[in-house]
Amino acid sequence: MNAKTITIANLTALVDDLVASGTCVTAPARAAGGKVDYRPITSFPEAAFNTELPRRSLKEFFLPPTEPLFSWRLGGPGIRISEVTTSFAPHVILGARPCDAAAVEILDRVMGWDYRDELWFGRREATTILSVACPGVDGSCFCTATGRGPESSRGSDVMLTPLGDVFLADVVTPKGETFVGENAKRFDDARGAAVTDGASRTSNAAAVGQPKLPLPEVQRWLAHGFDHELWSTIALACHGCGACASVCPTCHCFDIVDEPEGVLSGTRRRNWDTCQAARFTVHASGHNPRADQAARLRQRVMHKFWIYPSRFGEVLCTGCGRCARACSAGVDLPEVLRTITALAAPGGPEEAAV
Amino acid sequence: MTQLQELARTLLSEAAVGVVIGWEEGPRGARPAFVTDPARADRLIFDRRCTANLATYLSPRRTHLAPLGKAAVVVKGCDARAVAGLIRETQIRREDVVLIGVRCGGVLADPASTAPLTADTVADRCPGCQAREPGLADHVVGDLPPAPPGEATRDALIARLDASSPSERWAFWMREFSRCVRCNACREVCPMCFCERCVADKTQPQWLESSPHPRGNLAWHLTRALHQAGRCADCGECARACPAGIPLGLLNRKIAQIVAERFDYRTGDDPSVPAPIGTYSLSDRQEFIL
Repeated sequence: MNAKTITIANLTALVDDLVASGTCVTAPARAAGGKVDYRPITSFPEAAFNTELPRRSLKEFFLPPTEPLFSWRLGGPGIRISEVTTSFAPHVILGARPCDAAAVEILDRVMGWDYRDELWFGRREATTILSVACPGVDGSCFCTATGRGPESSRGSDVMLTPLGDVFLADVVTPKGETFVGENAKRFDDARGAAVTDGASRTSNAAAVGQPKLPLPEVQRWLAHGFDHELWSTIALACHGCGACASVCPTCHCFDIVDEPEGVLSGTRRRNWDTCQAARFTVHASGHNPRADQAARLRQRVMHKFWIYPSRFGEVLCTGCGRCARACSAGVDLPEVLRTITALAAPGGPEEAAV
Repeated sequence: MTQLQELARTLLSEAAVGVVIGWEEGPRGARPAFVTDPARADRLIFDRRCTANLATYLSPRRTHLAPLGKAAVVVKGCDARAVAGLIRETQIRREDVVLIGVRCGGVLADPASTAPLTADTVADRCPGCQAREPGLADHVVGDLPPAPPGEATRDALIARLDASSPSERWAFWMREFSRCVRCNACREVCPMCFCERCVADKTQPQWLESSPHPRGNLAWHLTRALHQAGRCADCGECARACPAGIPLGLLNRKIAQIVAERFDYRTGDDPSVPAPIGTYSLSDRQEFIL
């Protein structure tokens, strides 16, 4: 398919079309307190389109903070189980950040690995993601260091790039092609030369000043860095509060709980959880293999930059920087990665040890 | 070298303490610092961005800090209330900590901000502060800056909520709580949340549902607010840590108003004054008992 463009007027009409057809449209929108969240909109002007980074990522639309897995009822001849649906109504996410869209695709790997998570993929299949190239946020951004960038189309079905007063619309996936086809009257054909210029201008502007982090070297250092004193040093300030994990687009650990609702019935749910909490690993005996915050903070870094890439071939991080912004104690993942990079550098203090 | 840095260096080099917990310049503004080497005492700063309450690190829950030895901690007047709370509730002994008080003219709500201190940028607990000269401290450093800018907007907001109907208040809090994902950041950063095992983590029986649905969120936030009655140091860390931006300080402030009215008690920096939750007096009001 040829590249397309879409005007603001047509984006407005597109949202109206979708809402009129009963499709849920989610976009960054300003909440009551003035902050921006991804949330349902009913018209395009409600969206805070490509202004601020939403407080939380997109993961909650595929892995909600809490969701029922099944319900049970006792009585009569036995236990009656009510399954939950794994098919979902069409959903369009408009104005996703590239770091958030990429995270969803990275998570597909673990969600479809030894067991295919029907709820995750049910929502994935129902959802079309239209991302918009990022103008950058602040000095905590490091998406380019994780192998992507402000204009990366990874995980998006359609990629929008600002091009003067219109947006270039690149179709990325077959689902995106279907979407553009179904809404063809809202898209125009793009003219060639201006297209490339617009795209490169955006990426250059937002990528400026981002740290260079040689992730293969970080990964090699981590493979031998389990007992390094770094962990106890960087964890001193960490409260183990888990705010980092709750805003992270790729942290996906969950807890499973059975909640009675009355005497004879109840629901099994899965809820977000985090390796930063002490109770995450505590055994029934009371023993906790991750005894202190240093062990728990190490786990978060190890999982993202060594364990996940060892198993799935890429880091479990898109460099959105939300963890650094959310941390009330100033624990800063980009800084941790810079420190590890320095430790791992040829001629650096750790060269002999690794 | 500032007075604060000089004092920290002396305490460390004379081995009076093993660590000085203060603030330093981080990638995103001021942040907690743990100085063990006297030569590194020059990292320490104190300015309007030193919002974090470092008394939290004195809680015995912070087991990973114990190997550093006796701590000196830098406290603003408001932070000293949390230290007093930990002493009052027998979590630490006064002689086990050295307190370096800093005179304070208010701090920014956001320590990553570079903005000047104004009525719009100041932390909402600061206007009208009565604790700018830190109590309880072993050493006090710095000159007393001008009073924090702005007016106590929190109490005005509480008054507005109080004046609204119960259904409007219910709608306000249920809307705020709906963003909660039960990450527990509010609890983990709180200096007064030192329970070895929080009621919210108990599973046999499970008193509070851990799911972030309206029922679970309401149960959690009301339980925490009540457990803070007469104990909250009003440091604002719960609200600052909340990644969902829930105004938890309002809840704690409202409870503090009720405690002040019912028991004539305000959380202060004198650990010898007992808190109403741990005392009984024949003059306690009891007209609510049927």
